[in-house]
Amino acid sequence: MFQITDVPRILPEILLLVLALLVLGSDIFERWANTDAARLERVRASAQLTAIGLGMIFLIALVQSGYVYKLPETAPTNFFTNILHNLQSGGPGQRPIIGVFATDDLTMISRLTFIGAAFLTSLLCLDYHPTSNPAEFYALIIFSTMGMCLMAGATELVLIFLGVEMTSIPLYILAGYFHGEARASEAGMKYFLFGAMSSGILLYGMSLAYGFAASAMGGNGVANDLTQLSKIAELSRQGGPLLTLSMVLIIAGAGYKVAVVPFHGWSPDVYQGAPTPVTAFISTASKAAGFILLFRLLTVAYPSLAGSAILNANLGGWTSLLAFLALLTLIVGNLAALPQTNAKRLLAYSSIAQAGFILLGLVAWAAPQAFDRSQGTAALLYYLVVYTLTNIGGFGALAAISMAVGGDDISDLNGLARRNLPLAVLFAFCILSLAGVPPLAGFFAKFYIFMVAWQTGAWWIVIIALFTTIVSLYYYLGMLKAMFITAPASEEPLVAPVGIMSALSISVLGLVILGIFPNLILGIISRVQAVAGI
Amino acid sequence: MGLITLPTSIPWLSLTWLSLLAPTLLIAVIPGGQRQLMRLVGTGFAFLSLVLSVLVFLGYSPAIGGFQFVERLDWIPQLGVSYLLGVDGISLAMLVLNGVVIFTGALMSWNIENRTKEYWVLLLLLTTGVYGVFVSLDMFLFFVFYELAVLPMYLLIGIWGSTRKEYGAMKLTMFLMAGSALAIIGMLAIYFGSGLRTFDMIVLARNVTMSGDLQRIFFPPLFLGFAVLAGMFPFHTWSPTGHVAAPTAVSMLHAGVLMKLGAYGCLRAAMWLMPSGAHDWLPIFAVMTILNVVYGATIAMAQRDAKYIIGYSSVSHMGLVMMALATGTQIALMGAVLQMFAHGVMTALFFSVVGRMVYERTHTRQLPELGGLGKVMPFAAVMFILGGLSSMGMPGFAGFWAEFNIFIGVWEKYPLIAVIAAVSIPITGAYILRAVYAVFFDEVKNPEFLHLPKLTWQEYTGASILAAILIAVGLYPSVLTEVISQGVSPIAQQLNDVIVAVRP
Repeated sequence: MFQITDVPRILPEILLLVLALLVLGSDIFERWANTDAARLERVRASAQLTAIGLGMIFLIALVQSGYVYKLPETAPTNFFTNILHNLQSGGPGQRPIIGVFATDDLTMISRLTFIGAAFLTSLLCLDYHPTSNPAEFYALIIFSTMGMCLMAGATELVLIFLGVEMTSIPLYILAGYFHGEARASEAGMKYFLFGAMSSGILLYGMSLAYGFAASAMGGNGVANDLTQLSKIAELSRQGGPLLTLSMVLIIAGAGYKVAVVPFHGWSPDVYQGAPTPVTAFISTASKAAGFILLFRLLTVAYPSLAGSAILNANLGGWTSLLAFLALLTLIVGNLAALPQTNAKRLLAYSSIAQAGFILLGLVAWAAPQAFDRSQGTAALLYYLVVYTLTNIGGFGALAAISMAVGGDDISDLNGLARRNLPLAVLFAFCILSLAGVPPLAGFFAKFYIFMVAWQTGAWWIVIIALFTTIVSLYYYLGMLKAMFITAPASEEPLVAPVGIMSALSISVLGLVILGIFPNLILGIISRVQAVAGI
Repeated sequence: MGLITLPTSIPWLSLTWLSLLAPTLLIAVIPGGQRQLMRLVGTGFAFLSLVLSVLVFLGYSPAIGGFQFVERLDWIPQLGVSYLLGVDGISLAMLVLNGVVIFTGALMSWNIENRTKEYWVLLLLLTTGVYGVFVSLDMFLFFVFYELAVLPMYLLIGIWGSTRKEYGAMKLTMFLMAGSALAIIGMLAIYFGSGLRTFDMIVLARNVTMSGDLQRIFFPPLFLGFAVLAGMFPFHTWSPTGHVAAPTAVSMLHAGVLMKLGAYGCLRAAMWLMPSGAHDWLPIFAVMTILNVVYGATIAMAQRDAKYIIGYSSVSHMGLVMMALATGTQIALMGAVLQMFAHGVMTALFFSVVGRMVYERTHTRQLPELGGLGKVMPFAAVMFILGGLSSMGMPGFAGFWAEFNIFIGVWEKYPLIAVIAAVSIPITGAYILRAVYAVFFDEVKNPEFLHLPKLTWQEYTGASILAAILIAVGLYPSVLTEVISQGVSPIAQQLNDVIVAVRP
């Protein structure tokens, strides 16, 4: 039963919906005219509303989660503590709402990641100029964010599917937003076709899972909870080929969303063709949402099929399937990045390769001890958070550069250090974090993932993964070389918009702080394990 | 008791590396035009770090031995990562070496006019990393500092270097990063193989719980990972290219300190933590180092570029260090660490003469084009000869004691290798004398050389300090040997225990 007390638990989602509608609605009250100045005014209004709104929702979600400050039970009651108390009563650690939407730590952390990513993206778009109706552009980002939050919390197949579509459809539109350009149209169309395809595969896998659960029940009992993940897990103890097939299809479907090899074909084209801030958003929040979905689906619905990824023991189950995918992704992603000449496309391949590392975090689920498994979860989430920060920074810097220079080839980065040193340094931090150089957070994220993968016995992947990081260093250094060593085409200073610089500074600050003090969020992240199994 | 007593309430080792991190932040906010101020700040803090490391050296008590000035803070406790610093005899020698080379390197960097701010920030960041490596006793921390020391090198060489700088920089970085990937494999193997789930090297070394088989599998990655940085054959090719391409101060730091970082890693991480793996593999590595020593010296003989000569002589000398490490006896290890110190100071001196005093004025390093510079800059000639004498292993110089100990140690265990390696001694003499003659004594080939700008006070000071240290240690080696031999004895002891255990 849905109760009125459940409302605070889905407050961030409600607020996101309200904000999206507000952005759309408020645009009506702006001055509409065909001049550039008037359009710019509308862009500013929508963008600022989006940024401020997302920032506030982020803060509300942060307060609600109680990670920064938890109201003690004995606090005196007054007006403010009452509000705080009511807000935090929606905090982590209760049973899923009507069995479909869990508000556990995983949801809380994912929400913060997605809303944070959307906030940073909106900062990137502050000075970006959508051509037609600006409000749509920003509202679509918010709708998509809401879809991601639903995806992360959903514990039931139908809501999962709704969340996936809610996330993807706005992103298809956003990817092809500049539909006058050939590349952008290609990106939008390609993303849509591949996305629709993968949704179909995902749905097929889900329908098999549902059918399996229903037939296991033998037609008896109340059938309205058969789509719940935990119910599937409960009914599928003995396993069977059908269940395995449904699992494989679900991995394939979600694999498209997170762009792991061999389901990655769409991503370089889409990343390159989409408007750069949107690329930042797709490559971070959308990918993170895909991974969290995969994590919840596999660990909650298919724990009996986990298997192991230890080389000489019994390979099998989804952990070894994911290990295999991780291996392919790391090798293909990193090697394919080497010959790229377009910086955006290069980062696209690099983010494919990063997905390979993230998969290793899921592989840790093969560990026999619960302690090791929760380490794996912590490593996975830490990596996702860090990766989100890094890639938003990286694509943000590219957005600034391509706005000023008019292109995003690597040769457009030439001599950036002489034209805008702060921008070059911040960008370099993001690149080095992607490459995994200490003391930036990217290093600890990689190291932690390697540790958990090694301790489950998948040391063979770790060794290969380590060598792919050296390959990756070559192309990352190539970008550094362009920025710092190669002489610029022109000496005139390159002006970066304030919005982008602030988003970039926030993410780099995050990278440095999280890199030196990973415990700041590891403590929060490691709470996830306890509830994810419900 | 040490020579002086330092208050224990002050975190001396943290201060040492922070004393170089602080100026990077400071210089970053100095306005771009104030070059002289940046140089003063950078050199001043480098001097401060030298003073601090000398203080630590004097404050260390050889009577007590072991690790002193230990600082321990939890960092990531659930993973067994801590912020653990401490020095023993080995780190002490390296710490002082580092301080000296950084200070003199900073002095030699005053002529950088192009993008001065970035240069100093990167240079000091690099040295921060080097200090950190020498004082950290936690493998994770060790590794963090290690990478911090390697990466700025790419930009330093790529931007301010000469001869094929982009190629040299990329090659160097890729080699060293590949080495560090190998080292990570070894680290993880120790972490999980020992079952202790800690990166604390003191704990890991006190009770080696890793099985013999695992040690045999994972010793080579860890040892070779660091040996790449020490320039061990066949992974040495980055080093001459990199040294030649680098700007003077970076060459000094690189050959003087960074290569030692590799040898230090081999000793501290690989040999200390995996003694039985070391026991099985070291003879093979000992054979490989012959190539380093002899081949390196022979190639140096064939070079025309003065910096290449020094680059290959580094390969040869570091080969001696690695050979001594591979021998693993008390006296050889002591010689190895002393050689690290002596070679560090000596190479820094070489590079400051060739790279700064000569090349910056003549704009060539080709031996046939140089000549007669002894008349123009007698000081540079004297300094180069002093360095050369130490390099050849003349008694009275630091190099002598180092090589003497190394050859005694190697002879004890592998007489044949010692004999073959000794071939390098006359070759070294030959190429040094050839370089000295061609650069400083031949007649002046280029009349423009007679009107070269005068040496600056930074050059006089820096080179004099380096030369003075070479002679001081040569005349009174026990200032270092006492602490060093105390530092290496636990490692030698551990290796010896393995031999005793293996023998029925």
